[in-house]
Amino acid sequence: MSKEMDISDGVTRMESAFGSGDGDRDAKATVAKNAEIKGAIFEQSYRPWRGSLGPRWVRNYSIFRHHVYGLFSSKGHRSYPVMVRLTILGIFLFSLSPVFMLFLASMGGNGELGEILSRMWGINRYNLWGQVLGFFPRNMCMWPLLTALVVGGMISDDRSNGTSAIYFSRPVTRIDYTAMKFVSSAVVLGFVIVFSYLLYYTSAIVFRGEGWAFLIDTFPMFLGGLLAGILLVITYTSIGLALSSISQSRFFAGVAFLATIYGTKMVAFLIESQFDSSILYIFSPYDVLAHIGQWLIGIESNYDHSLAFSAVSLLLMNGISIALLASRVSSLEVTRE
Amino acid sequence: MSLESTPQPLIEASALRKMYGPHLALDDVNLTIPHGATGILGPNGAGKSTLFKCILGLIRATSGEGKVLNMDMRTEGHLIRSKIGYMPEYDSLDPGLNAIDQVRYSGELLGMNTSSATQRAHEVLEYVGLKDQRYRKIETFSTGMKQATKLACALVHDPEILICDEPTNGLDQRARRFMLETLRKTVTEGGRSVIMSSHVMDDVQEVCDRIVMIHKGRIVVQSNIDELVSQVEEEIEISVWGGASEMESQLSSMGMSVRRLGRNMRVSKRGDETYSRIMEAASACGVQVRKMTDYEPDLEDIFLLIMEKLGEGVKGTDDLMTDDHMGVSV
Repeated sequence: MSKEMDISDGVTRMESAFGSGDGDRDAKATVAKNAEIKGAIFEQSYRPWRGSLGPRWVRNYSIFRHHVYGLFSSKGHRSYPVMVRLTILGIFLFSLSPVFMLFLASMGGNGELGEILSRMWGINRYNLWGQVLGFFPRNMCMWPLLTALVVGGMISDDRSNGTSAIYFSRPVTRIDYTAMKFVSSAVVLGFVIVFSYLLYYTSAIVFRGEGWAFLIDTFPMFLGGLLAGILLVITYTSIGLALSSISQSRFFAGVAFLATIYGTKMVAFLIESQFDSSILYIFSPYDVLAHIGQWLIGIESNYDHSLAFSAVSLLLMNGISIALLASRVSSLEVTRE
Repeated sequence: MSLESTPQPLIEASALRKMYGPHLALDDVNLTIPHGATGILGPNGAGKSTLFKCILGLIRATSGEGKVLNMDMRTEGHLIRSKIGYMPEYDSLDPGLNAIDQVRYSGELLGMNTSSATQRAHEVLEYVGLKDQRYRKIETFSTGMKQATKLACALVHDPEILICDEPTNGLDQRARRFMLETLRKTVTEGGRSVIMSSHVMDDVQEVCDRIVMIHKGRIVVQSNIDELVSQVEEEIEISVWGGASEMESQLSSMGMSVRRLGRNMRVSKRGDETYSRIMEAASACGVQVRKMTDYEPDLEDIFLLIMEKLGEGVKGTDDLMTDDHMGVSV
């Protein structure tokens, strides 16, 4: 007998088992017909598995691989829709356009065309800054769209499909989950943004046959641009993932990201045009990055306010986004209440 | 409460308490779950999900302690989760993946290398009856196939404990039967332990030997089903043809306790002579007894009896179900 509750001498429920009626009149009995059982050729046998489970990095690598390889191959990985893949490919190819122009310039030799092309697309502070942080077309048409497409569904899909249970009912911690989602997104963004930047710089040296002097001359500004690119990838990933984590729809997360980037810039631009003050640009992620990028590469700033404001703003943006991300990931359920 | 002969229980908890702010989700839970199949029963909001989360080491109990496979629930959650296969109640599959990829990824998330996970995914998908559908996208699956895929994900690493949250949710009769047989086979042939929660008592009875019942965060019963059944008052069920009211009066006048619903009656059994006394009553009032059998109470009877004793107005387990629990044709 259970020590929690004594149910002895209890009586069971009563329910009509053989049709309705009060039992005082004759009634017709309904006889149920057994369902026909059709045979099936299927032998079910449980097979044990004697392998051993790998450590934490194996689990984390599988998350990374699942999210990154899906960009290239749908086989066994989170598959990105074809249009998304094509758009990302288009953005990547377009981001390499200066490489093609430099190639064209090198083909032109020392002629006038080659000289013009080299001046327009060759390595200098402004072109390095523009490759990563130029507003048009990169930060208006390419990077935000790329981020929205890659990051939008990273966490919102897990929320809407309930796939977070697959992660958290296994020995995957929320920190690992968040970190690997972050790294996966950042790697895809970095592949397009940072890798195209590296390729641009390298090709400029190779196509023009530049020597050590050129390398020494331009390397510091290249590093500045590289750092600016990495900051851009980190910041866009933080904001994008935070928006993805508060949503159940990749569309909402993507649109919210675009609205954040364009909206803040638009408001700051309107305020600047009306009141001649650039301070509101500290709320625009793009402008904050552009301001810091200008300082890193060493070009004249477009902004009146102090760089410190932008630096603090950048830290706050990332901090708030990651705090929001962590908070929302901690609310992902394994069981539904 | 009886314990199985197995020396080391799967799960042990003592004075386990979990509070969410002022809300008490688990109240001094003392629990022992041995090897085999155990059903976790309780109305919605009773604390089943919280108990599962504690077992999986996902939340830390406010007080008390517990061990799963001799590992501490509070500090060794990640180790516990690598030994447990959890099949969630609701959708937890990526609709864009093939079944094989989903199961393989579930294995990889446990730390299996890709080739082992792939091989094992083929095995478990065959085991759950999806051998021919393994390369189909999950978005094209019926509810039954999705449930089977979730089960395959839970079994991919051959866990020692399989926790199934409402495994027959939304399944039609055929898929439900297959799911229950598969779970039973996992226990009997695979030698694994299954802990399942369900609102469908028949399902629990079919798979489990033992139940744990939770009500308002407290364990109200934990026992073998057979043991509980033996506690319920024995009755003889009869079905009469014509004159049921007379028969009821006659039985009552003979000092027998009788309950009637239409032409069916249950008479409290007071030894073997009750059969003959029923026949005497039928003879006295000229009523045909079409059927007379010992009534065997099932788990639903026990559940309702317990609910009644707890003062809950539950007329049947249907009262506990939402639309999600109802079977749909697939």
